[in-house]
Amino acid sequence: MSRHLPVLLFLLPLFAAISMPVVCLKHRMLSWPIAITVLSSMVVLSVMNLMSIMHNGEVHYALSGWPPPLGIEWVADGLASIMIVALSLLGLVALVFAGPTSPKDLRGRVVHFYTLILLLVSALTGIVFAGDLFNLFVFLEVAALSSYALVGVAGGRALVAAFRYLIIGTLGASFYLLGVSYFYAVTGTLNMGDIAEKLPHLLTSKAVVGGLLFMFVGLGIKMALVPFHTWLPDAYTHAPDSVSPILAALVTKVALLGWIRIIFWVLGAKVVVYDIPILLFVGVLGVFAAVIGAVLALTQHDLKRMFAYGGISHIGIILIGVSQGNQTGFAGGVLYLLNDAVMQAALFFWAGVAMRQYGVRTLEDVGRIGGHAPWMTVALVILAMGMIGLPPTGGFFGKWYIILGALEAGSYMAVGAILLSTMLTLAYFVKIFEPVFRQTPTTSDMIRVPTPLQFKVSLGVTSAAIMVLGLWSDPLVELLLHVALPSGL
Amino acid sequence: MGDVLAAIVQRPNFLTFVIIFLWGFYIMITRYNLVKKLIGMYLVQTSVIFFLVSISAKKGATVPILLSTTDPVHAFDYTNPLPHVLTLTAIVVGVATLGVALALCAAIYRTYGSLDEEEILKRLE
Repeated sequence: MSRHLPVLLFLLPLFAAISMPVVCLKHRMLSWPIAITVLSSMVVLSVMNLMSIMHNGEVHYALSGWPPPLGIEWVADGLASIMIVALSLLGLVALVFAGPTSPKDLRGRVVHFYTLILLLVSALTGIVFAGDLFNLFVFLEVAALSSYALVGVAGGRALVAAFRYLIIGTLGASFYLLGVSYFYAVTGTLNMGDIAEKLPHLLTSKAVVGGLLFMFVGLGIKMALVPFHTWLPDAYTHAPDSVSPILAALVTKVALLGWIRIIFWVLGAKVVVYDIPILLFVGVLGVFAAVIGAVLALTQHDLKRMFAYGGISHIGIILIGVSQGNQTGFAGGVLYLLNDAVMQAALFFWAGVAMRQYGVRTLEDVGRIGGHAPWMTVALVILAMGMIGLPPTGGFFGKWYIILGALEAGSYMAVGAILLSTMLTLAYFVKIFEPVFRQTPTTSDMIRVPTPLQFKVSLGVTSAAIMVLGLWSDPLVELLLHVALPSGL
Repeated sequence: MGDVLAAIVQRPNFLTFVIIFLWGFYIMITRYNLVKKLIGMYLVQTSVIFFLVSISAKKGATVPILLSTTDPVHAFDYTNPLPHVLTLTAIVVGVATLGVALALCAAIYRTYGSLDEEEILKRLE
C-alpha cells in the first residue's frame, strides 16, 4: 500500500479537480468542503508517505508497470516527500483562508477557484515527484496554466497582469522544452536517472551545454530569478487576496525544486562545464537575486508588491544555500525554502486581511491598523522577525546554516550577499513598522466588521509555524541531512 | 567562416527553427495588439515542436510496427516513435495555453473595450 502513496497523492487532487465542476454545478456550497477534505487527506497521506520513505528508503514507482528507461518514473525520495508535506499543509491553510462563503474578491466564481486550486496542487505534486524531464515540462505547464487562470479569475485589473504572466511564462516553457529536446537529441532518453548515467561523457558537447542553458532560462523564468522576475510582482499584486498566498508560497518554490533536482540529481554537484563549476554559476545568480530583489522591495509603496519582491530576493538566498557544495549549505537552503514558503503565505495572508478588514493597500495606510488590531501587529512582528532572520524564527536558522555552509566553502561573497540582503530586509520592514507604531490618529471611513475566524486561524497557524520551524529546526535539519541529500555532496 | 556557413546550410531544419523562433519572439516583443502577441507566442511554441520532430527524421525507415515476428529486429529499419508522441503532448499543452490566453483576451476586451496594450494601459491609469 505504502508503495502507491506517491501516485495516490497526485491522483487524488487531480480527480477531485476534474469532478468538481460536475458535482458542484447545482450545489456551489459543496466546493469548499470537498476541497478541504481532499487537502486534509493529502496531509495525512503525505505524512504516511514521509514515514514510509524514512523507514524503507526511497520509492521508484513505474507507472502502469513499464520499467523506467522506457516508461514514466515517479521518484519519491526524502526531499520530494518533505516538500509534499509542506505543500499539502500550506494548501490546506490557504483553503481555510479562502473560506467557505463566496469571497467578495472572487466575484462569486467559487467553483472555478476551488477547481483551479486543486488542479494547481496536483500539478505541483507532479513536478515534485516527476522522474523524467518531459513530465516535468507537462506538470510545469499545468501548474502555470492554473496559475494564469487563478490570477485572472476575478477579472478587472488582474486580467492584464495574468496576460503578461501567460506570455512570459509560455516563453519560459518553450525554452525549457527546447532544452529538453537538446538533451533528448544527445542522450536518447528523458529519464533523469538514465541521463545522469550517460551525461558525464558528454559534458563537452555543445548541444548539452546549450540544452542546459535553455533549461535554466526556462526554469529561471518560472521561478522568477532576477533578470526574469518581471511578471511576478504585477501578477501577485493584482491577483485576488485569496489567490496570492497560495501562488506566492508554492509556485516559484516548486519550480526552484525542479531546478535543484536537475542540478544535483541529473548533472551531479561537482560538474564543471567549460571550466565553470555549475554550482559557482548558480551561486552568482543567487547573489544577484538576493541583493537586487531586496533593493527593489525597498523602493515599493504597495504592500503586496513589496512582499512579492521580498520573495524574489529569498529565491536568491535559497540558491546561495544549495550552491555551496557541502551538506550544511544544502540542508540550510532546503530549510530556508520550506521556511520561505510558510513566510510568503503568511505575508500575503496578512496583506489580504489588512486589505479586506482595514482597507490597507499601501504603506501610507498601514497606520490604520496600529491601535485597532493588536493581533495583526503581533503577527506582523513575527513575520518581520522571520523575514529579517532573527532568532528564534525559522528564517534565522535557515540563514545560519547557509552562512555556516558558505564559510565552510570559503565563499565570502555569499556571506556578504546574505548579510546585505538581511540589512535591506530590515530596512523595508522598518518602513512598514514606522506608521504602525507612530499611531497617527487616522480617520478611517471603513465600517468596522468583526474579523472572520478563518483569517485569524490561517494567519495564526502560519505565524506559529514560523516560530516552530525555528524552535524545532534541529530535528528538521537532522532529517534533511539524513534523507534529503543528493549523492555526491 | 566557410565552415560555419557550410554547417548551417547542411542543416536546413535548424535554420528554419531559428528563423521561426526569432520571428515569433520579435512579434511578441514589438506588437501592441494582444492577439498579435499571441500569434508570436504560438510561433515560438510551434518552432520548438518543429525542432523536436525534425531531429527524429530518418531516411529509409518505416513506421515502428514489427515487419515480421520471426526475424531478428533491426532497430535501424524503424523510426523512433517517442519524439512524435512528445510532440503530440506538447501540441496539446500549446493548444491549452492558447485557449486560456484567448479567454483572457476576451475578458480584457469586455472589460476595457480594446485589445491595444497602450490603450488598455491608458485606461488603467
